[in-house]
Amino acid sequence: MNPTTQNAIALCRGDNGLLADWIGAARTGSVRCCLLLIALGCGTYGFTVGLRNGWEMGAYVAVKLPLILLITLLLNGLLNGLLGLVVGSGIGVRKSLQFLLVGVAIMAVILGALSPVSFFATLNTPSSGDGSGGYAWHGASLLMHTLLIAFAGIVAHARLLQHVREFSDRSRAGTVAFFAWLAGNLFVGAQVSWNLRPYFVSPGLKVEFLRDDPFNGNFYEAVWVAIKNVT
Amino acid sequence: MTGNKSKPNPGNHGGIRDDEYVPLEGGTSLSNLIGKLLQKPLSIVHELETGNISWRIHGVLLLVSVVCLSVFGFVVGTFSWGNQLWATPLKIVSGLIFSALICLPSLYIFTCIGGLKAKFSSVVGMLCAIVALSGLLLVGFAPVVWLFSVSSTSALFIGFLLLVLWVICVGFGFTLIFRAGKAMGMTNTGHLLVWCMIFLLVTVQMTTTLRPIVGKSDSLFNFGEKKFFLQYWSEQLQQATDGRSDD
Repeated sequence: MNPTTQNAIALCRGDNGLLADWIGAARTGSVRCCLLLIALGCGTYGFTVGLRNGWEMGAYVAVKLPLILLITLLLNGLLNGLLGLVVGSGIGVRKSLQFLLVGVAIMAVILGALSPVSFFATLNTPSSGDGSGGYAWHGASLLMHTLLIAFAGIVAHARLLQHVREFSDRSRAGTVAFFAWLAGNLFVGAQVSWNLRPYFVSPGLKVEFLRDDPFNGNFYEAVWVAIKNVT
Repeated sequence: MTGNKSKPNPGNHGGIRDDEYVPLEGGTSLSNLIGKLLQKPLSIVHELETGNISWRIHGVLLLVSVVCLSVFGFVVGTFSWGNQLWATPLKIVSGLIFSALICLPSLYIFTCIGGLKAKFSSVVGMLCAIVALSGLLLVGFAPVVWLFSVSSTSALFIGFLLLVLWVICVGFGFTLIFRAGKAMGMTNTGHLLVWCMIFLLVTVQMTTTLRPIVGKSDSLFNFGEKKFFLQYWSEQLQQATDGRSDD
């Protein structure tokens, strides 16, 4: 079995020894391994998400899904490190980035493992442009992938929380730091995913890598407008 | 396993870890003070209280504050570009330092009322530490603010976001001052809570006094029209809501 596969399985099993080596920088190549797992796992899953609208969209989403996670980690990297130190966990910028990379890598492994299921579902789903019922299938696809990604995220972060608590100077500070990271990453991740849309391609819209105006408006403004329109 | 969990500390009093109120190690260099400010801020307070009054620590903390707030202000200014690129950092730095200055006497008096026998220079240092720590955290938020400033069209949204971020950052500063007060033998921290409210109120009002900090305007300042920040924000919210409903 090659080292990357071994590491992926060790991460899923919650191998503390491996993580201790990675965090302590005793073993080099951990970042490369995590990036590889994220590219493979999220890329594969993203491909099956976009495939519903053709090979081109599949390729786009395969690139964009890992990008969302990596851009979010980069934007929040400094902040996560500062928060980790300020709350007294003793986890600084490098370690927090390493922890979160590991968390995202675990999520990517789970998503990669779910890719065949997603692929099968995509094969059985008409594309957005196909006749009647387009909106219903679009909604079903959106719901299914949201649930699967949420599931992978929750499982991965639950595993990560254990690690952070164990590695933190104080267990409680580790918990606080973890939830601070999570809140920040969710807040920024939502916006990054908004900027990099489309993924599912709503019926009537064309397949493209980015919208013509990716930086026009933000996720939370859109939610606000949507709420106003409903009420 | 490299991680180590906290162990009960027999020296704990009221949840404060006395082991953090220790002499400052590593000198007063810029990098060391930044590290200690994030990890062991009470050691800086200890140095302020027990060391010789050299004002070097104050100077370094002030430098950290000015640089961090300038960087953050520049990022905020990218929402509007133009004159705001230099006006916003200037307003944020000067506004916050002015707020700290006018709140310094009350901080000293309130700590005295709370039973703290601290030197005035220590209290000045604690205030500098609050501003520096808040500035450092704001720099951490700068990439997030940049993302929203290039994406958002609503100045109200950015303004609200900045207010929330400021409350989060200054909240860590307040925690520091409470811990420092307790570690130094303060008997009643209720007065500090009042001071924290006052400082927060002053800084938020300062954003209204120095408006516009976010968004474009014909004039750099608007001192002629006096407004309380709640009135100003409610007017802005009303305008935004009316604007949306007209769409």
